[in-house]
Amino acid sequence: MKDQNALAYINMFAVLKDLEKLCELDAEAKALATPTKPISIGFNVGNGPQATLTFADGKCTMTEGRTGQIKLKLASPEAFNLMVDGKKNPLPYGGFTKLKFLLNDFTKLTDLLNKYLRADEASLKDRAFFEKSTTMMFYLVANALSAIGDYDEIGRLSASKIPDGSISMEIAGGPCAEIVVKNGHMTTYNRKAANPRSYMIFADFDTARGLFDGTTESMSALAQSKLIMKGFIPMIEHLNMVLTRVAVYLA
Amino acid sequence: MNTYIYPKSDEMLKRATKVIPAGIYGHQGPAEGCHIPISAYPKYCDHAKGSYYWDLDGNRFIDYMCAYGPNILGYCDDDVNAAAKAQMDIADCTTAPSYKMVEFAELMTDTVAMADWAFFAKNGGDTTTLAVLISRAATSKKKIIFVKGYYHGVHQWTQSADAPWVLKGEVENNLMVNFNDIAGLKKVIEENKDDIACFIGTPYMHGNFVDNVLPAEGYWQAVRKLCTDNGIVLIIDDVRAGFRLDIAGSDHYYGFEADLLCLCKGIANGYNVSCLCGKDFLKSTASSITYTGSYWMSAVPFVAGIACINKMKALGGGAKHLELGRKICSGLSKAAKENGVKLSISGEPSLFYLMIQDDNSLLLHQEWIAEMVKRGIFLTNHHNHFTNLSLTDEDINFTAVVADEAFKVLTKNHPEVYKK
Repeated sequence: MKDQNALAYINMFAVLKDLEKLCELDAEAKALATPTKPISIGFNVGNGPQATLTFADGKCTMTEGRTGQIKLKLASPEAFNLMVDGKKNPLPYGGFTKLKFLLNDFTKLTDLLNKYLRADEASLKDRAFFEKSTTMMFYLVANALSAIGDYDEIGRLSASKIPDGSISMEIAGGPCAEIVVKNGHMTTYNRKAANPRSYMIFADFDTARGLFDGTTESMSALAQSKLIMKGFIPMIEHLNMVLTRVAVYLA
Repeated sequence: MNTYIYPKSDEMLKRATKVIPAGIYGHQGPAEGCHIPISAYPKYCDHAKGSYYWDLDGNRFIDYMCAYGPNILGYCDDDVNAAAKAQMDIADCTTAPSYKMVEFAELMTDTVAMADWAFFAKNGGDTTTLAVLISRAATSKKKIIFVKGYYHGVHQWTQSADAPWVLKGEVENNLMVNFNDIAGLKKVIEENKDDIACFIGTPYMHGNFVDNVLPAEGYWQAVRKLCTDNGIVLIIDDVRAGFRLDIAGSDHYYGFEADLLCLCKGIANGYNVSCLCGKDFLKSTASSITYTGSYWMSAVPFVAGIACINKMKALGGGAKHLELGRKICSGLSKAAKENGVKLSISGEPSLFYLMIQDDNSLLLHQEWIAEMVKRGIFLTNHHNHFTNLSLTDEDINFTAVVADEAFKVLTKNHPEVYKK
C-alpha cells in the first residue's frame, strides 16, 4: 500500500529532483534552464515536503525549504501527488511576473522528464538515450530509497536496521550515489562515496535497467556477478528491503 | 601455490539461472552465502569424501562448512552409507512406518539428556516451528521471546514485518531481548505477564557479521528459572550446534535443561531427518498437534541416524569436535599473528567464527577468505564454520599453511593498512 505522504517525498526529492540530472544530460533541457535571470519555484505542500527548484545558467538545483520566486501551494501530499501525475494544477500565490516560465518552460521540462522516466521501447533502442534514461532512473531510485526509508512505515522499519555508515551505489563506469545512514535515517547524495562501508554495484547499464524495470532477476544477477554487493553486507541486506518498497511506489 | 578457476561451475550456473530461481537459492547459493567475490568460489559439487569435496572443475576443497553442518562424521561415511544402502533394499517410504523409527527414537532419548520423547521431521525449521506450536498449545499464550540476532529457520513466524512476503500479524507477537541480558529478560516478562508462550534461543550466539558470544556464567540457569517461574516453555534451537559440543545436547553442555530441544544437522551425517526432543509434560500436547509431511517417516534416514550417532559416540562425540576445532583455530591464529593481521576467532571451537577486524567494512576479511577458497580451503565470509570427525592433522596443518599464504597476499595488496 502506498502512503501519500511518503509518495509526496518521493515525488519531490526523487522525481522532481531528477530535473537536476535532466538539465545535465539533455541539451534541450539545458537550454530551457537558461532564463535571462535565475528563476526559482517554491513548492509548499501542506503537511508535506517543502522544496525550491532554481533554474540558472543551464542548471537546475533543488534546495530544501520554500523560498522560490514563484510560490506554488498544494493543500496536502495527496494534492501534490495529483499535480505530479498531471491531474491537478497548483495554485500560484507569488511571483506572478515569472508565471510565463512556469507555464511554458517548466512544463516543457517536466514533459522531457517524463520522456526519460517513462521511456517507450522505440526510444530506448537509441543507445545514447537508453543510457541517459537509465542514469536518470538510477538517481530516481537512489533518492527514492531515502524518502521511503524516512517516510514509509515499512521502509522506516527496514532503515532502522541498517547499521550506520555510507553505502556506495553505482553503475560501473557510470553514475554514482552515496546513501548515508545514521541512526536509521537515510540521506542520498548524488555523488561518489569517498569512504563507503558497503557497495551495491550494477555491472553495466543493461543490468541496472533490467533490475529497475523488473525484467532481470536480482538473485540471478548477483549469482552471475552482474550485481555486486560487498563490504558490510547487513547494510545492503536491509537496504534491499527498502528497495522492495521502491517498486511499490514507482511501479 | 596455484589458485583455482571455475569455468565448468560458472557454465553450470548460467544454465541453472534459466530454470532455477537465483541459480542456487538459499544459504548455499552465492548470493545469500555471501560469496564475495563470486568469481573466487566454486558453485557445484562433483563428488565428496571425508573432509573434502571436489567441484565440477576437479578442484579439491577441505570443506569447513560441512554442508552448513550436516557433514558431522565425514562425507559419504562408509558405515553410515552401508546402513542406509542396506535399508534402501528393505523399506524406506512406506504406508506404515518402519519399526526403525522406534529404534531411532529410543536411541535419541537414551542419547539426549533432556529427551523423554522424540518427534521426527526433515529440516531444522520443521522442529523450531513445531516447538513454538507446542508451546502455544500447552500454555494457551501467544507471545514468543527471541534473542536479537536470532536465526530459527525461514518459517513466517521467524521473519520480520518489513519482508514483503510477511504479514504484520504473523510476527506481531514476537518479543526481543539481548543475549546474556537477564535484567532485560525480566523486564520483557514483566511487561508481557501471562501472555508469553515460550523463550527460544540458541545455546550461544552464533550470529553472522559479529563475533559469536558464549553464555555468561549462570546465564542459562537464570533463564531456566525465569521460564519455570513464569510458565514459559524454554526452547533451545540446537539445530546448528547440536552434537558438536555434546552428544547429550548443548543444554547439557552448558549445565541446564531445555523443555524442547531442536536437532537436525548433526544427527544423521547428511541424511534428511530432524528431531524435536521434549520433556514428558509436553508429550500429550505434541501428540495433539496436526503436523506431518510426506517423507517424515522414511526409514533410510532413521537407519543412517542410528549408525551416525553410534559412530559419533565411538569416536568421542562433542569432545572430539571441540579438540579438532581448537587445533584449527590455533593454526589460523598463529598465521594471523605472524602476518600482523587482527583475526578474531569466536564461538565454540567446533563452530569457529572468523572475522578480520582491521577495517569496519569487512572488505579485508572478504579478500582473505576469497584467497583461502581459491587455494582449496572452503570457508565462507560471514557464517560460523563446522568441524567433522574425518579431519586429519595433515588437513589442519595444510589449512594453516594456506592461511599464511593468503594473509601474505592480503597484506601485500594493502600496504596502506599493513605497513611493515
